[in-house]
Amino acid sequence: MKTNILGIYEDEDVLLHAIDKLQADGIVVADVYSPFPIHGIWSRLKLTTRLPYATFVYGAVGAVAIFMMLYWMSVVSYPLKFGGKPLNTLSFIIIMFVGTIFIGTLLTFLTYLGREKMFPGKQVVLPDPRSTEDKFVLVIANTEDMNEQETKHLMKMLKETGATEIKESTVNDHE
Amino acid sequence: MYNTRVRGILIKGNKTYSDVGRDVLRPLDAPTPIWWWVTAGLAIIAMAWGSWGFYNTISTGIGAWGLNNNVAWGYAIINFVWWIGIGHAGTAFSIFLLILRQKWRTSINRAAEAMTIFAVMAAGLFPLLHMGRIWDGFFIFPYWNTRGPLWDNFNSPLFWDVVAISTYFMASALFWYMGMIPDFATIRESTASKIKKKIYGAMSFGWIGNAKSWLRFETAALLLGGMAAPLVVSVHSIVSMDFSVSVVPGWHTTIFPPYFVIGAIFSGFGMVLTLMIILRKLYSFKDYVTDGHLDAITRILTFISLIMATAYMTELFTAWYSGSEYELFTFMKNRVTGDYTFAYWTMITCNAIIPQLFWFKAIRKNIAIVFIMSIFINIGMWFERYVIVVTSLSKDFLPATWATYSPTITEIAAFVGTIGLFVLGVLAFFRWLPTIAISEVKGVLKETTTLKSFTDEN
Repeated sequence: MKTNILGIYEDEDVLLHAIDKLQADGIVVADVYSPFPIHGIWSRLKLTTRLPYATFVYGAVGAVAIFMMLYWMSVVSYPLKFGGKPLNTLSFIIIMFVGTIFIGTLLTFLTYLGREKMFPGKQVVLPDPRSTEDKFVLVIANTEDMNEQETKHLMKMLKETGATEIKESTVNDHE
Repeated sequence: MYNTRVRGILIKGNKTYSDVGRDVLRPLDAPTPIWWWVTAGLAIIAMAWGSWGFYNTISTGIGAWGLNNNVAWGYAIINFVWWIGIGHAGTAFSIFLLILRQKWRTSINRAAEAMTIFAVMAAGLFPLLHMGRIWDGFFIFPYWNTRGPLWDNFNSPLFWDVVAISTYFMASALFWYMGMIPDFATIRESTASKIKKKIYGAMSFGWIGNAKSWLRFETAALLLGGMAAPLVVSVHSIVSMDFSVSVVPGWHTTIFPPYFVIGAIFSGFGMVLTLMIILRKLYSFKDYVTDGHLDAITRILTFISLIMATAYMTELFTAWYSGSEYELFTFMKNRVTGDYTFAYWTMITCNAIIPQLFWFKAIRKNIAIVFIMSIFINIGMWFERYVIVVTSLSKDFLPATWATYSPTITEIAAFVGTIGLFVLGVLAFFRWLPTIAISEVKGVLKETTTLKSFTDEN
């Protein structure tokens, strides 16, 4: 069974220093659970997201698709003149503009849920439920492979960096 | 959230992280207060009367309204534009202030967004009802039909309206819901009730709040916000085009899109002020929605009110400078003077003159007066739409067709019904949802408390 060691911190700045110290010591910080986003964690854990690229693609494809739809409906399928204006008109821009936002927003949200594997009614167990309230939970993964000396060193490091509580956890959904 | 520094004290009372969650969630666990039942009862009565208005309109047809050949738009369009305007607050708050990096938005944005959702719902009912044959409402969408297929007129602002408002509703609802996901998880983990754990757990979509999910969350929120920001401008611009692309005097002006957008933000901020004063009073949120927050809103309102005044004067100037006698007649003989003087001057007084009192610090500090003034703004903005819709239509080019308009009881019922819907929606939000964005407040908490101890020491 996989075991993680959790270091529980009370303050986000203490936590950021702790991550720096642990990483300088060669310890791999697997994850951090926090009640709110902490800037500075992402660069330290080397996390990135490609969500903005996805949104750009949705928007671009959406704009083109909506233009094609409008063009086909107004010019090809049923060319009906309104008020003597050309069939393929500049005012398509308005629907393209709003439609692009519609498609971009909806698909971005769905992509976000998909990437996070989130859905209504999903059940989860947190390593420490207090991480949604006021605790910052630092996760060191797969500590069952460590020998006694390494574990001791890790415990010491966590305590030195300001963890108010150290505990083991078998919850393993941080990946 | 969203990396910037805060200016000034946003949250008072030296709160800890767990205090924030506890304070915001306390009303969710408390027994339903008496005022809630009383207000909900009134709202339901209003909705019942509104349902009668809706039934009467649908079963009889638009003939149940006070409209006539000339004044073909009345209460329905006035109320539609009014509600949409109010609905602009949420997005203006959440997104403009997000882009302008104003941290003080964190205590208010959730409630403002909730207001948006219910206001847009109320607004959407009117065009639907105005169709007359409501069961044919789906004709507005371009769907594959047996009449050709015959598609929509994509040059029509009325169709743009449909697209804009449904997009606006969807985008604001997603943004609002997404912001609440981490807070639902907080409720899920902290509540003692099994039923609540289940319900809020399901609504939290399995939120865990690790580093990666916060990264994705913030990126997605910024993306949704960034995409919704142009909607604040475009939705009401499109609504204004319903008027300005026509040739009716008083409507046919290029000032309409910016004038409508600024008016919408004005009425939205007015309604936010009304609502936040009530919320902080009822739930003792004075540490979160501080006097400083209210002060900031009143300052913004003063500024927007000046823009409104400029727009009113520009309209009058343009009417005169255009040399068009119809324009001049509409503004000078049918608004400033004439049959609709009361509506016009109520609009000017409430929107351009009364908010100028906010220049005085003593008035900004007096919450009771601020509250009354915020109501005046809402009334003033309703009259603005009344002036625009009714005066222009009632007396247009041909004096032989001039007509007056007064609403029937059916129209008034439908309007009161939507107020009931809005109030009930807001009440449900107050009762069952976290009214302040807990995770966002926690995100700015430390910076603002450090700042506080800093100012205390010096």
